[in-house]
Amino acid sequence: MELLGNILYDTVYHSAPIILCAVGGMFAYKANVLNIALEGMMLNGAFVSVLTAYLTNNIWLAVLAALVTTLLWGLVFSFLGITCKGNVIVIGLGINLIVPAIAKFILKMMEMANINLSEMNVASFKINIPLIQDIPLVGQILSGHPPTTYLAFVAIVFFAVLMYKTRFGIYVRVVGENEDSAISLGIKTNRYKYAAVLIGALCCALAGIDLSLERLAMFTNDMTAGRGFIAIAAIYCGQGRPVPSALYAILFGVARSLAVNLSVYAGPAAGLFDTIPYIIMVTVLAVVSYVKFRGVKVRGFKLDQ
Amino acid sequence: MKRDGKLTKAILNSVLPVILAFVLGGIIILALGENPLETYGILIRKSLFTSKGFMNTLHYASPLILTGLAIAITFKANIYNMGVEGQMVLGGFFAGIVGAYLPEMNSILHKVICFGVAIACGMIFALIPALLKVKCRVNEMVVTLMLNYAMAKTLEYLTTGVFRDLSAGYVATPTIKESAMFTRVGTSRITMFTVLVLIILVIMYFVMKKSKLGYEITAIGKNPEFAEAAGMNVGKKIIIMMLISGALSGIAGAGWMTSEQFKYTLSFSADPGLGWDGMLIALLGGHSPVGVLIAAIFYAVLKTGSDNINMYTSVPKEIVAIIQGMIILFLAVKFISDNTKLFERFKKAKKEAA
Amino acid sequence: MSSMIQTIDLTKKFGDFTANDRINLDVQEKEIKCIVGENGAGKSTLMNMLYGLLQPTSGKILIRGKEVAMHSPIDAIANGIGMVHQHFKLVPSLTVYENILLGTEIRVKKGGFSTPIVNQKEEIRRVEELIRENHFELDPMDKIEDISVGGRQRVEILKMLYRNVDILILDEPTAVLTPQEVDELMVTLKGLKEQGKTIIVITHKLREVMELADSITVIKQGKVIGNVLKKDTSEKELAQMMVGRDVMLTVDNKRDKPVSREVVFGVSHLSTVNDYGKEVVSDVSFQVHKGEILGVAGVEGNGQSELVKLMTGLMESTKGTMELEGKDVTNWWPARLRKAGMGIVPEDRYAQGLCRDMSIADNCIAGYHGEKDIVSHGLYNQKKIREKRDRFVKEFDIRIGDIDGNISSLSGGNAQKVIIARELSADPQVLIACQPTRGVDIGSIEFIHRQILKFRDQGKAVVLVSSELSEILSLSDRVIVMYKGQISGEICPKEVSTAAIGLLMAGISGREEENS
Repeated sequence: MELLGNILYDTVYHSAPIILCAVGGMFAYKANVLNIALEGMMLNGAFVSVLTAYLTNNIWLAVLAALVTTLLWGLVFSFLGITCKGNVIVIGLGINLIVPAIAKFILKMMEMANINLSEMNVASFKINIPLIQDIPLVGQILSGHPPTTYLAFVAIVFFAVLMYKTRFGIYVRVVGENEDSAISLGIKTNRYKYAAVLIGALCCALAGIDLSLERLAMFTNDMTAGRGFIAIAAIYCGQGRPVPSALYAILFGVARSLAVNLSVYAGPAAGLFDTIPYIIMVTVLAVVSYVKFRGVKVRGFKLDQ
Repeated sequence: MKRDGKLTKAILNSVLPVILAFVLGGIIILALGENPLETYGILIRKSLFTSKGFMNTLHYASPLILTGLAIAITFKANIYNMGVEGQMVLGGFFAGIVGAYLPEMNSILHKVICFGVAIACGMIFALIPALLKVKCRVNEMVVTLMLNYAMAKTLEYLTTGVFRDLSAGYVATPTIKESAMFTRVGTSRITMFTVLVLIILVIMYFVMKKSKLGYEITAIGKNPEFAEAAGMNVGKKIIIMMLISGALSGIAGAGWMTSEQFKYTLSFSADPGLGWDGMLIALLGGHSPVGVLIAAIFYAVLKTGSDNINMYTSVPKEIVAIIQGMIILFLAVKFISDNTKLFERFKKAKKEAA
Repeated sequence: MSSMIQTIDLTKKFGDFTANDRINLDVQEKEIKCIVGENGAGKSTLMNMLYGLLQPTSGKILIRGKEVAMHSPIDAIANGIGMVHQHFKLVPSLTVYENILLGTEIRVKKGGFSTPIVNQKEEIRRVEELIRENHFELDPMDKIEDISVGGRQRVEILKMLYRNVDILILDEPTAVLTPQEVDELMVTLKGLKEQGKTIIVITHKLREVMELADSITVIKQGKVIGNVLKKDTSEKELAQMMVGRDVMLTVDNKRDKPVSREVVFGVSHLSTVNDYGKEVVSDVSFQVHKGEILGVAGVEGNGQSELVKLMTGLMESTKGTMELEGKDVTNWWPARLRKAGMGIVPEDRYAQGLCRDMSIADNCIAGYHGEKDIVSHGLYNQKKIREKRDRFVKEFDIRIGDIDGNISSLSGGNAQKVIIARELSADPQVLIACQPTRGVDIGSIEFIHRQILKFRDQGKAVVLVSSELSEILSLSDRVIVMYKGQISGEICPKEVSTAAIGLLMAGISGREEENS
């Protein structure tokens, strides 16, 4: 029972940042400007929030700084990729390399190996939901998470509505699917591409804040550990639809949570458990793609499927 | 005449981003109260303008040339194989295991075994995403990135557990046997491995520029539908390209193991990793073998020079990584395209936006 | 009657190329104006300027007598101009109503403010109303990807009517329609004219012009050649104005010997499905003999593209077999088919036939890049490749500015000649030629037609797939017609009328005709 509770709690815990990245990043995917810089943007959110909190001791300033700087990366991505028509994959890779480099550079300048906000009490961020927290097991799972975690689950619904029920969502999909038709009706396509990328950046910043500031009150190098790429895998599996993409993100959370909780029993092989989430994602991706393209009779490849 | 024009454009497209990145990096250095020109001088002087320094640079460039080629051959066909890092460390790891656990033997034979094992490892690791891409049409980029993480975790497990050398004071596999090591030539760090790399480079030049496969890679990269219609079985070619990429990465890993590291540690591939460096090198070199050679040397200069920056100035050597990141960002934008100038393109984009 | 649209010395240049040269156009209120001209004459450029998609280099556009500057389609729509493009600008995954209201969504209102949420109920209601007013057959809830081409065109027209335009421009509206759908469109357009709309139709099909137009403007090489009223002209006169000489098709298709009985290439019971699992080629069987050209006619989108892809190894079949010179070649890849003696002129020149961004020489060896004649010691011999290119250029009269440049520097006709040269020089037994003269200038058309006939006269077989009926009829020895993925009939081109073929193209087979 205790173990089950832990596994389920950890599932929510590990899913949240990936859900945020996935539902945010899916707008860029739908608008046909694949943003693989989710990883770098998330790291930026994690780093800047902790750094600002360390320097100013002000949580709100920390959150604001993380959001603003990540949006700036979103603008860099959009400007180079949309306005200058650069190769978005290469730009994404560039951001993924440069953000950790900047973090390491600044840590080096400060002569620190990582930033530890020792004065901050992480437990104070946890929200205990009245009533629900008293229900056995359910309370244990649903209650006691930091605010951004709840935000992640709200975001699924919010972005699903935004994608399918609003003009903005329709335009983003139109821009990605048939840019000509959008232009012929005078829709300013670049504006929607920018917006799509920036939404992703904003979500990544939140995911980063969740990861570093409000959970651990610390930043270590490369702490995002590929979560941004897993979010991209989740987007691919869910084909850019909000709810399926989020479900695949949760699947990763399950795998991760199982790996963490079961490795205790594995003895020396515990190290191998860390690989499970990645392997599961690859397997799921393979199965989803296989099913999708099973009936296709046209030979050959169009790139970027 | 036109041919020369194309070449000039290609060179400018690689050189301009580098200059721009260095200018921006210079501003950062200036902000730290150091003289950027002096800093850059320290960065390149020793590693480029002394014969020993240059030999060392060539030594460090050797695995980079291979990872650069490994990336170039797939990127040129628009296959985004990000698995070179994983292919390389896997090859290096098992070359190290074979090097350490087999008894002393004929030194050529031992190296052949090490390299053979590494090549096999690299190819197998590259085959997985290739098959998934061809059989299930899974995006190769996402798969290779995931598998890299899985690989890093697995090797970490093997190094800290199964193959750990308990006599070492830190996490590492046992040192490889003498017979598996390349011996240094003269006082510099350079070994025969560099010669091997240059031979491979020449072979790859002919493969990419003069062979049927090279023609097909170019065609697939420019227009896969055309390539298919012209009778290239694109799926099969993707597998072949990935296998070559895996083999080259494996050789890089084995070479790095037997000429420099001699045992596998958790920082075997350094930071951000020889495979990732290979990506910048391939992009900078415009996916051509000669370009890769020049870019790899340039890169090795930065890498060895960055230690000197640390020693002689107050600028952290991580500035080099930032400059490298900026180079990639700017490389993504073709400053001078085949037909239009950037300025015109910018105007056009603005018009479209309006 | 007064002028709705006037252009004064309207000029558009793309670099050194003048697409429109001092065009003076005058469209009267409530008339149907047809603008005719060959492919590449500059009709679409002109219309794109009227619709704000292109900006004129010089000259003026007057609407209802007032000069306007249009920077985007929004300005055009605000001025009451709507356009139905040749390639529909619809979003396949969205529904009919979503497409019609795209850009003018109705949003839910709460307390006087509009929320970002789209009011889907109201949108559907308005679109239903619009469909009813115009007596169209459409379901607003259908997805575009599920409806017919004619239906899609009606959606495009509704999209414009919803925006209250009173000038409607249609770019090649009949290119993708069956003869019956064309007739329906004519009725629709005349009805719209009755309602007081002004209509501009761009086309090169003279039969339709004569039926539809009130006045006609002929454009050739970017210039206005003449303005005539329909009552004062004839189809023949228009044709002469368009091409500037008397007859369009001059190839002499006389054959010396009768078709042999020896089969070179054949397919039987061939079927395949598209990406959505729908059967697009069903149970197609035919044979081609030595010294024969088999024409495959039909309205575009009836499975011809897929049939060509099947024959040339770009698609796999679900059923059926294919034979080439007695060998079973079912589902072989293109490389093997070429080796077995098939020459391939693919449908889309720049997608499948050539690579724009590669040099002319590299394109000359594509598909045959494994042959020994260009290789020495296992590596390409650039000198031999260049020699091959130079031979093609000379023998096939390919006009080239920069011999070392890319294919993208060639005109459509010359690019097509590169493909023809490449495929015919390999000496195949059968040639699969799909749309061999689409978008090609008249001189090149003649040249290509002559090459195909010469190839046949050598005793080889040809499968010619084309949407240009005149091309099919003048070249083929035998014609099959495709409708909805099936062969709806076979005819001898010298013995039948265009009308009979029209019926087959609409899926009405000969026997049904007899019955009715």
